[in-house]
Amino acid sequence: MQITDACVYPCPNGSASVRRMALEARALGFDSIVAHETPACMIGDVTVLCGVRITAPAAKDVNTQVKREKGPGRVVSVPARDSGFNRVVCGMPGVHILRDIYVADKYAFDHVTGKIAADNGTAIDLDLSPLITMRGHARQKAIHRYLDILNLHHHFEFPITISSSARSVLGMRTVRDLAGLCSILGMDEEDVRQALLGVAQVTAPKPTAVMVIS
Amino acid sequence: MTVRPPTLREKRRYLLVRIEPCGILVEGKTLYYAIHEAAVSLWGDVTVAVMQPAVIALEEGYAILRCRRGTERECAIALSTVTACRDHQIALRIIAASGTIDSLRDRIRALGAYTPQSREQEPGKNEECSFDTRTYEIIHRSSQSLDLIEKGFKNTHRLFLTTEDLEEK
Repeated sequence: MQITDACVYPCPNGSASVRRMALEARALGFDSIVAHETPACMIGDVTVLCGVRITAPAAKDVNTQVKREKGPGRVVSVPARDSGFNRVVCGMPGVHILRDIYVADKYAFDHVTGKIAADNGTAIDLDLSPLITMRGHARQKAIHRYLDILNLHHHFEFPITISSSARSVLGMRTVRDLAGLCSILGMDEEDVRQALLGVAQVTAPKPTAVMVIS
Repeated sequence: MTVRPPTLREKRRYLLVRIEPCGILVEGKTLYYAIHEAAVSLWGDVTVAVMQPAVIALEEGYAILRCRRGTERECAIALSTVTACRDHQIALRIIAASGTIDSLRDRIRALGAYTPQSREQEPGKNEECSFDTRTYEIIHRSSQSLDLIEKGFKNTHRLFLTTEDLEEK
């Protein structure tokens, strides 16, 4: 089992080193973390995966960068934009996670995108930092987006990941805290468990579509 | 005011939380306001009125909080959304829940104080270090972890490192 925080930002993007974040992650109950722009490694018994965030403006550029960034121990994620972009990205081989869905347009992730994500095994990230740090309308908007995503998730069963998007150890939360926050979104323990295993699920090598029998 | 008999009193539960980062100076009143704001923002006035969160004590880097029995889950979720107390960034890590304050105090004794080690306790330790061409003061040191603050009066943001990070640089 690889209980994973799907996105943390160590130094220089945050105020904690990747080693400190790995130590903290172990104390908080995680087996692995996806650290932004950090080489994949093992720190203690915590697996650190390299998080690659592709922010190219056009889907074509995203495809070019994904081909360049593919590799073992790398988790490729793309921030969500409009509906057309999200559909293309969710169907793109090599993209593991579509993130920042709470910032995107209300109709940016619809049932068609959900079906494409489920077929391609692309995960949708539930970034819990808006629930932790935001207040009022901004948090309500994020909760609304996530409820919509979870509704589609129950229908199409595309993978879900959970991230804290912590920029310091103070932004990281325990597995129990994340489960509690997810319960606001109507996720039960099994849903949370599956979501925490989401990174392992999307980075596992996919079985070949055609098996050659000699 | 007459004291109600025990059977008519409201049942309460107490939560033991560790205040991160280590050595942060937090007053009970400001912590109460931070928790109350987080809880009201998340659950609304009605639920918080039922929950009745309160800060009972601040001891050795830990806080003992009170809530009504049956609302521990809501209280714990609200605590996970506390990010700041006045101008300081903090995080509250829930350690335990109990029906009595005494048992939580026993727990604190078992865990040990979560306060920064003073210079007197560790003579000969270098309290300053350099990282990324800057000089930092070591605020807290545990087995592998180091909390640093840049020397000077302008930057008061903490840097969270490990001893290996300093050795590498």
